Amino acid sequence: MESTVVSSKNFNAYFGDNHVVKNVTIDIPRNNAIAVMGPSGCGKTTFLRCINRMHELIPGTKTEGTLCLDGEDVYNMNPIYVRYKIGMVFQRPNPFPNMSIYENVIAGYKLNGLKVPKADQDNIVEKSLTKAALWNEVKDSLHKKGTFLSGGQQQRLCIARAIAMEPEVILFDEPTSALDPISTASVENLFNELKANYTLIIVTHNMQQAARVSDKTAFFYLGELVEFDNTKQMFTAPSDPRTQNYITGRFS
Amino acid sequence: MNARLGIRNTKSIIFKVIIFILAFLITIPLIVILLYIVKQGIGQVNWHFLTHVPAPVGETGGGISNALVGSIIIVAMSSVIAIPIGILAGIYLSENSSTKLAYYTGLCVDILQGVPSIVVGIVVYFWVVKPLGTFSAISGSIALAIMMLPIVIRATEETLKLLPPSLKEAALALGVPYHRVMLKVIIPCGFSGILSGIMLSIARIVGETAPLLFTAFGSPFLSYSITKPIQSLPLLIFNYATSPYDEWHNLAWGASFILLLFVLILNITTKLITRRWKVQL
Amino acid sequence: MIRVHKIILQEGLVNFIDMTQLENEISALKAELIRMWILVQSQMNKAKEAMLQFDQDLAREVLVKEKRVNSYELSIDNNCENIFALYCPVAVDLRFLLAALKINTNLERIGDIAAGIARYVVESTANFNVSLLEKSQLLRIYEESVNILIDTRAAFEKEDTTLARSIFKRDEVLDQINIAAPESIAELIKEDPRSTNELLYILSIIRKLERVGDQCMNIAEEIIFYVEAKILKHQETSSNK
Repeated sequence: MESTVVSSKNFNAYFGDNHVVKNVTIDIPRNNAIAVMGPSGCGKTTFLRCINRMHELIPGTKTEGTLCLDGEDVYNMNPIYVRYKIGMVFQRPNPFPNMSIYENVIAGYKLNGLKVPKADQDNIVEKSLTKAALWNEVKDSLHKKGTFLSGGQQQRLCIARAIAMEPEVILFDEPTSALDPISTASVENLFNELKANYTLIIVTHNMQQAARVSDKTAFFYLGELVEFDNTKQMFTAPSDPRTQNYITGRFS
Repeated sequence: MNARLGIRNTKSIIFKVIIFILAFLITIPLIVILLYIVKQGIGQVNWHFLTHVPAPVGETGGGISNALVGSIIIVAMSSVIAIPIGILAGIYLSENSSTKLAYYTGLCVDILQGVPSIVVGIVVYFWVVKPLGTFSAISGSIALAIMMLPIVIRATEETLKLLPPSLKEAALALGVPYHRVMLKVIIPCGFSGILSGIMLSIARIVGETAPLLFTAFGSPFLSYSITKPIQSLPLLIFNYATSPYDEWHNLAWGASFILLLFVLILNITTKLITRRWKVQL
Repeated sequence: MIRVHKIILQEGLVNFIDMTQLENEISALKAELIRMWILVQSQMNKAKEAMLQFDQDLAREVLVKEKRVNSYELSIDNNCENIFALYCPVAVDLRFLLAALKINTNLERIGDIAAGIARYVVESTANFNVSLLEKSQLLRIYEESVNILIDTRAAFEKEDTTLARSIFKRDEVLDQINIAAPESIAELIKEDPRSTNELLYILSIIRKLERVGDQCMNIAEEIIFYVEAKILKHQETSSNK
């Protein structure tokens, strides 16, 4: 029986008066790759950002309902702590441009003023870059700036940076939409390996990607969670006609 | 058809030639001024010139040490006042660009930039010189700081606005608290832009005369005190160039040369530093 | 290709949407399958006529048209392959294409059966005795199998799974005739040993027609699979037995 790592109950999110996420109840199992898909404006990205409390950084936003990490309500915890436990990788690769590759990976510690002995730092950097399948490509240029890597490498660097904090969950906001097909493939291959140690929640516009990489898929439409099921079931015989219309391209 | 094309081509060429000539013409005044001042002033500059105060009327020799020291002290104090306030205000404006406060502050900054320097001097006279009862270096610094602020604020704001929002998001998603995101990520990334704003503002005020007329006032003596009147290079040039004495005219030329040199060095250094420190986004 | 406009009701809004390219392709594929189906139906009918009237020319026509049935099969297979490669279909579209591939094969086999019957007519030296055709139940099984073929097509065109399910029951009739056939043919041989050759041909044709029923049952299973996503193959349930 898989344990639940992130769950929400009757969760709502607002942009001012705009009701963007409507009554979402979902249980996300541990060590799975979960794809979240839906048309533009369906609330999937907003919901994702609520999980690590990035949504509230925008002025005029509001949330209702419970959203739990390991059973504890995320909105009752210190937001800094929440973001230690839940990492995030964004659409455009965004390594810190004023830092080297080494410093980028360890940035979560350095920027937070968390003291780590040098030997441990080296260890963390190597482990994270290895888990992000980037170590062999950059191990000889750790002190070069991160911005000189290719798009796929930069994105894997951002993944390594998130992994270095040893989160439980990693959120991905359309992580390959700014990348070319080869870089996309390198990042997608990574998801399979990352699943073993982390829970991945991946928002994507690309249905084929959702089908390729995820174990379960959630379909959002107009702010509601329409269907949440095993990916294979979702793509061969979805239960809701809205899901079917979306994945067969009957409406965008 | 060919004839029309031919005429068009000629017009294009004439246009390009005119632009080139006009651009070239602009460099002429600068070069002429530079050459003239160098010619007049370089002869005056020697070690004695830089280390002695002006001689009394009738005596030869003397230098501009009091003006040099005074300029350095005033500019340093202005920077200490204006830079922190300017950077923080710039940060506020770039972070909260949609609030009412930001709008009105931005408006004030723009208006302040247009206030004539002599008016700033008079205002500071009433605020600082009259209550203190004396002309002083500090009042001069305050006047010059008011003139530095708009440049520093706008440079900081524009630099930070150019940074992609994904940078801040990346840091926040790592659990970094807001003040550390600003201090350790945003400002270091925008450092070259902010630094160039600071250096340009210094280059601006180092040659300002009018605000100092009623505040620092000038003095023939070498002084290190901030609560007493103090000399500065532009003030010295103003006073001595309009005097009837030849020796003083010479001092003024020398001082002009030094001032020019200083501004040139500052501008060139700014260009070099910003290129070196520029963060590739 | 004429673009067909479809009205979709969404949350009270009425939108006019062009059919997507994928929908066009699937429509075209469905139409092609139906054309093949009609051809196979006509092959079966012509073979029956040829047999009844001993019209060897008609039988030869059936043999020639068999090539067209085969070329339909190749064309439909090819089109399915293209759609898979280019459109990555999912859900109902995916299920439809998988079903179409199987239905394609089933129809081609029915075409083969019609051709086989026509071949008997061509190779035969004398006409069939019509009373024998009746007594052996051959005409009955032929008529029923062609009806089943027609109804299966109707179920496919209308996506009517109830009609598809009814095929299973009707196939039982064919099975019964087939099971009783060896005995009744043996009887008829005893009655008139001179018509042994003919009766053996008749037995063979009855067997072929029973297979037509089987093929139609397979097709019905595929229709239910793609419309309802239910798999009925290799299951003994009350609904299909």
